[in-house]
Amino acid sequence: MTRVVIHDPTLRDGQHAVRHQLGPAALRRYAEAADAARIPVVEVGHGNGLGASSLQVGLAAAADDEMLSTVREALRHSRMGTFMLPGWGTSDDLRRAIAHGVDVFRVGVHATETSLAERHLGFLRDAGAEAHCVLMMSHMATPGELAEQAARAVGYGAQAVGIMDSAGHFLPPDVTARIGAIVGAVGTTPVIFHGHNNLGMAVANSVAAAEAGALIIDGCARGFGAGAGNTQLEVLVPVLERSGFATGIDLYALLDAADLAERELMPAPPVTASMSIVSGLAGVFSGFKHRVVELSAAAGVDPRDVFFELGRRQAVAGQEDLIVDVVAELSGRGTDG
Amino acid sequence: MSPTAGLTTAQPDVVEPVTVAVIGTGAIGRDLVSKIDRSPALDCRLVAGRNPESAGLRYAESLGYATSAAGIEAVLAAARPFDVVFDATSAAAHRDHWPLLEPLGTLVIDLTPSKIGRMVAPTVTGVSAATGRNVNLISCGGQASIPVVHALAARFPVTYLEVVSTVASDVAGRATRLNLDEYVATTGHAVTAFSGVADVKAILNISPAVPPATFRTAVHARMAGADPAAVRAVAERAAEEVRSFAPGYEVTACTAAGDRVTITLQVMAHSDVLPPYAGNLDIINSAAVLVAEQYAARPERMSRTGVAS
Repeated sequence: MTRVVIHDPTLRDGQHAVRHQLGPAALRRYAEAADAARIPVVEVGHGNGLGASSLQVGLAAAADDEMLSTVREALRHSRMGTFMLPGWGTSDDLRRAIAHGVDVFRVGVHATETSLAERHLGFLRDAGAEAHCVLMMSHMATPGELAEQAARAVGYGAQAVGIMDSAGHFLPPDVTARIGAIVGAVGTTPVIFHGHNNLGMAVANSVAAAEAGALIIDGCARGFGAGAGNTQLEVLVPVLERSGFATGIDLYALLDAADLAERELMPAPPVTASMSIVSGLAGVFSGFKHRVVELSAAAGVDPRDVFFELGRRQAVAGQEDLIVDVVAELSGRGTDG
Repeated sequence: MSPTAGLTTAQPDVVEPVTVAVIGTGAIGRDLVSKIDRSPALDCRLVAGRNPESAGLRYAESLGYATSAAGIEAVLAAARPFDVVFDATSAAAHRDHWPLLEPLGTLVIDLTPSKIGRMVAPTVTGVSAATGRNVNLISCGGQASIPVVHALAARFPVTYLEVVSTVASDVAGRATRLNLDEYVATTGHAVTAFSGVADVKAILNISPAVPPATFRTAVHARMAGADPAAVRAVAERAAEEVRSFAPGYEVTACTAAGDRVTITLQVMAHSDVLPPYAGNLDIINSAAVLVAEQYAARPERMSRTGVAS
C-alpha cells in the first residue's frame, strides 16, 4: 500500500468557522485526542496563520505564542504544524514558532505568487525547519501554471508543495489534472492536497489527489472549516484505506477525536449551506462567508449576488475589505456606511 | 530634463536644478525617471541598475539619460557628487548604500522600507530635509494610510489601528516581494510614529486579479463613539491635502459600526509609464519627487552650491 501522510489543520483552518475563537482548553483537548489517534501532523494557529490576528480577518481568542505552547504540551507522538502567509506573518513570527517547537511550517501564497514565499522558505530552510509551500485559490491557475509555481517553491527550499482548493471549486478531474502536473514537475518532493467541501466533493477530490500521486492529504475533524468546511478527516481516512492507501491512523481513536471536536470545538458541524454552494461556484474563498452574509444583510442586498460579484473581481483571501465596496455598490446607495 | 516638461508642483520663480541620480531600474525606478524628466527642478544625470538588459535602463536611455549597470559603484564614481540620489533598490541594498553615500553630503531619498532615514509623508511631516541627509518614504501603504491615520488619531480617541494594502501582482517587483517583512515592520512603525497609537498592525496583499486591482489601503480603527459622518469628514479633508501632490488619491468607502471604523483609500496612478492601477508606485514616487523639488528650492542649498562652485 502507498503511504500517505495526513495533515490535520482542525485547530488552524477550523478557526475560520468560529471566528478564530478557539481557546487554549479546547486546543489542548483536541490535540490530545488527535495525538492519541496517531495523526501525523496537528496544525494550530489563527485561521490565516501566524501574525494574522486582525480586524481585517478576525482577532484571535488566544495569542500565537499561547496556542503553540498549549498544543506543543499536548502532543507526544504527532508532530506540530503551523501556517503563515507572507505579508501577514513575518520572519520574526517564524522564529518564535520555531522556539515553540513547531515541526512543520506551511507557507501559503496565492497560486501564481510563489515568489512571495522565497524569503520565508529560505529562512526556514536555513533554520533547519521543515517547510511546505501551499498554493491557495488554485482553481484560478491552470495545471501548467501550478506545476511551474510548485517547481519554483521547491527551488526556494520547500520540502513539500501542493494546492489548496480554497473556494471548494474543483471536481475530481480538475484535481487529477493539477496534482498530476505538479507531481510531474517536482519529482520526488511530496505533493499536498487540501480540499474544501463547498460542492460536496472534498473526500472524492482528496482520493483523486492521492491516486494522482499526492502524498500529503489534509483533513479536519467533522470537516471543521470555513463555509461548507474542509475534507472530513474521519471519513477521509477510512476511504483512503479502502482505496489502497495506508495512513497509520487508529480508526477508533480518530472517531473519538472527531466526536470530541464536534462537542468541544464547534457550535454545529459544517453543512453545505446554500451560501457555501454559491461561494464554491463563484470561486470565492470560503472564509469570506460570515462577512458577506453580515454586510449583505445590513445593506439589504442578496449575498449570492455579492459572492458572484466578488468572484468576477477575482477577490483573493485577505481582501476582505473588498466586500464592503461590493456590498455598497450593489446596494445602490453609494459607499457611505 | 525635458525642456518642454511642465511643472509637477508649484515652484518658486527661479530654481536652479539639482543634479539627480536614480539607483534601481524596476517599476519604481522607471516611474521615478519619468517623473524626474517632467520636473524642471531636477536634472537627471545618471540612472544606475544591476542588469544591463533591464527595461528600466533602456527606458532611461530612450529619454537620453546616462545609464550604467554598475549600480551604486556608478554613483560613487561620478566626478562630482550628485545633489540628490534616489534609492529604489531594496531595504537590504539600501543598508549597504547609505554608509557609502553619507560622506558625499548628498541628499539620499530612500524608497525602500529600510527604516534608516527620517520618515516623510508630505502632508503630515512636510517635505523639508533639514533634519537629515537620509529621507525615507516609508512604504506605499504608509504613504496611503498615514495622512488618514494621523488625522483620525488627532481628532478621535483611537486605541487600535490596522492598515491593509492590496497591490496588483504585476506592479509588485522582486524587491517588494523580498521585502515583505520590512514592509510590515516599517509601515507599522510609521503608523505608530504618526498617530501616537501603540497597538497597530500592517498587512500587505498581492492580488493577481485580471483586470488588475487598483492599489487600495483599508484603514481599520477602534475608537469609542465613532460617528460615520464625522469620520468621513476627517478622512476627506486629509485626502484633499494628499491630492495636492498625488491627484489619484481618494476615499472610496467609510463605515463605522460600534467602536470599529473602516476607511478604504484608493490611489490611481497619474504617470507616463505606469498603468492607472499602479497607484502604489505613483504615490510613493510623487512624494519622493516632491521632497527633491523642495530641496532644490531651498536657499541653503543655493548657498552650498555657491560655496562649492
